[in-house]
Amino acid sequence: MARELIELLHRIGIDEVRERQRVSDREILTMGISFTVYSDGENIDRAWPFDIIPRLIDGNEWSLVERGLAQRLRALNHFIDDIYNDRRIIADGVFPADLLDGSANYRTECEGVHPKFGVWAHISGSDLVRAGDGQLYVLEDNLRVPSGVSYLLENRGVAKRTFPELFQHYRIRPVDAYTDELNRLLSSLAPDDRHEPRIVVLTPGIYNSAYFEHSFLAQRMGAELVEGQDLVVGDDDCVYMKTIQGLERVDVIYRRIDDLFLDPDVFLPDSTLGVAGLMRAWKAGNVAIANAPGAGVADDKVVYAWVPDMVRYYLGEDPLIPNVPTYRCMYDDEREYVLANLGELVLKPANESGGYGIVIGSRASADELEASAESIRADPRNWVAQPILDLSTAPTLVDEGIEPRHLDLRPFILTGEHSYVTAGGLTRVALIKGSLIVNSSQGGGSKDTWIVDNHHPSGHQLSQSPPSRSPPSQSPPSQSSLSQSQGGSD
Amino acid sequence: MALLSRVADRMYWAARYVERAEDSARVLRAYGDVLADLPTSSSRWSPLVSISGSDVRLPPVVGSDESQVAQFLIADREHPNSIVNTVEQCRENLRTCREVLPREAWQTVNDLSIYVRGAAVTSVDRRRRDRFLSRVIDESRRLDGVMISTMTRDEVFEMWRLGRYIERADMTTRVLGVRAASLLSLPPGEVDEFAEVQWMGVLRSLSALQMYQRATRGPIEGPSVVRFLLFDHRFPRSVAGCLAEMRTSILRLPEYSSVLGAVEAVDRQLRRSRPAADDGAVLDKAMDEVQNALAGLDNVMHEQYVVH
Repeated sequence: MARELIELLHRIGIDEVRERQRVSDREILTMGISFTVYSDGENIDRAWPFDIIPRLIDGNEWSLVERGLAQRLRALNHFIDDIYNDRRIIADGVFPADLLDGSANYRTECEGVHPKFGVWAHISGSDLVRAGDGQLYVLEDNLRVPSGVSYLLENRGVAKRTFPELFQHYRIRPVDAYTDELNRLLSSLAPDDRHEPRIVVLTPGIYNSAYFEHSFLAQRMGAELVEGQDLVVGDDDCVYMKTIQGLERVDVIYRRIDDLFLDPDVFLPDSTLGVAGLMRAWKAGNVAIANAPGAGVADDKVVYAWVPDMVRYYLGEDPLIPNVPTYRCMYDDEREYVLANLGELVLKPANESGGYGIVIGSRASADELEASAESIRADPRNWVAQPILDLSTAPTLVDEGIEPRHLDLRPFILTGEHSYVTAGGLTRVALIKGSLIVNSSQGGGSKDTWIVDNHHPSGHQLSQSPPSRSPPSQSPPSQSSLSQSQGGSD
Repeated sequence: MALLSRVADRMYWAARYVERAEDSARVLRAYGDVLADLPTSSSRWSPLVSISGSDVRLPPVVGSDESQVAQFLIADREHPNSIVNTVEQCRENLRTCREVLPREAWQTVNDLSIYVRGAAVTSVDRRRRDRFLSRVIDESRRLDGVMISTMTRDEVFEMWRLGRYIERADMTTRVLGVRAASLLSLPPGEVDEFAEVQWMGVLRSLSALQMYQRATRGPIEGPSVVRFLLFDHRFPRSVAGCLAEMRTSILRLPEYSSVLGAVEAVDRQLRRSRPAADDGAVLDKAMDEVQNALAGLDNVMHEQYVVH
């Protein structure tokens, strides 16, 4: 499938490839596609790094991924709704009750709330990695305020102008419909009696690293981009925005700030980013909030391990896209396996984020491994372990020429009455040889991923059957010395 | 479409800042051109600093030296009204209202900002200056062109126009208050042999020379220049012309009566300055009064549409 791409790169030669890269860089600068990094006490607005060489995925494989992600998010939403209401999954012994006690993202304030369609995580981004066995795995689910979709859409715009000849040759699934689908989803969440609902995007403001995206999405949807100071909750428990003609009712809030900043009356009292009374208005059903407060309870490293069980429990289906096999140290047999194989595993504490506390067995000293073993024995519930994955690579333009670099992929999933999955996703690439650090704030780059359909005009069809999957208890997908953990999300 | 108060405020200020950058560029370009025609002894650059804002405290190093003044007006990061700062302020304001802006408009201001950041310091030099100033003026005009040709005539658009015309009216009174007033203030009996060249400079700094000549037959004469720039409402940079445009925009906004009242107050102040066209000392003071009335209009708008 990649043959035409490779042939084109050879035909035009490295100088022309570099020239196209320069044109693309210039375009990104002029269009003001930027991200904000915090450095030396200053917020710097930087041009978005984009590698022009696309990464290709076959449409047949992607169709399965789409179904798998939609299925996964349906199950996760059943779980969140269940946890804040009946807790059937606990009563039925499928999910251990005490896991909720340690969950940093469980919100007691959300108990008993019934959002429309039973959906809490309306907009989510799941990070996928392709391991050494060729299989795509879900590495983690981001159910709170996942970002990056604007760059996915902007990258495609630039890619079309960079390789117009390839867009003629390949049938590449378009990505542009996302904002329209998002608009449709958000409209559907409005309280039932509201016609032509008013949607706003709630941003923490211009100093947030994802401000570009907040602005982009508001623009594409024709929604208002508001800050907390623009909103007020009235005595009638409805939310209003301050306009030049006075107060106007708001029906749906696509919030891009964390739970704890949403409402100083309920969460952090010092927060100036949110709106006092917002939770009251939400609970009264006068405004929809996407994602719903409390949705983050299901994006936790330990809860993650139960997602395949959730799929089976709530949907009665087998998971179409696998988790990275995860050993839960709270169970004796899984813990014994972990302790016996420390050197070949990645050890992750449950309640840390941003990669903190993660131990990569193959790179740790004997002393470090012994210390980890102690921690696991002392507090087994707080640890999971995963095999060390070998992330796949794609050809990337670097100083040395075109070379393989590691990458990951974050498709975005919309869940409401129906589901929608982006064709491809935000594609981040490590620009340094051998590195797995794809974060743009740390020198990572981005690519465009093309989902290519119906590629063999000769009539040869790729297999329609899904690739084989292995259950978590089976052997790790690869023996490489590289870890997937650093490839995690921002 | 409802317009958020905060967004209204930022559109208005973005327009004021880019107009300020454009107007400074015009004034500076025309001034350099005039001074080239004058004997070196008459070359004084300090009036330009006064035009750029009486509220600005001058660093002592900025004297009447051309390169110091040009540096101060173009590239000085400490000077809030330098071109590099006003362009940056415009961009920062528009960056927080991209959701209501045509995409092309954002790209234009972003382009301008990238250019100015890169070229400001080297463009202080006389040989490069003109090209830089012309580019600033062109891009600012292009920005208006994009807005006019692609934006719905809604409240966002009217806020933009109001910012443009209030700032423009303000600049016209500044140029008249400083430059025209000093030209009219020559001691009785003394004739400045370069007066005509200097009046042409005043007109050029407001891009008004050609239109003035079409409107007025005969040689260029001080009081008639002043009257043209204040009262000829057909000319889009005259104060009366700006007021007419403001009224058009205000009538399209909600709850406009207090704002319209403030525009009429500016107009009354403007008409009171009519006898000042012949007398430099009176003109300077009259222009201050018009500027105060414009500041009053700005206040009323803020109260009506931003803070409530």
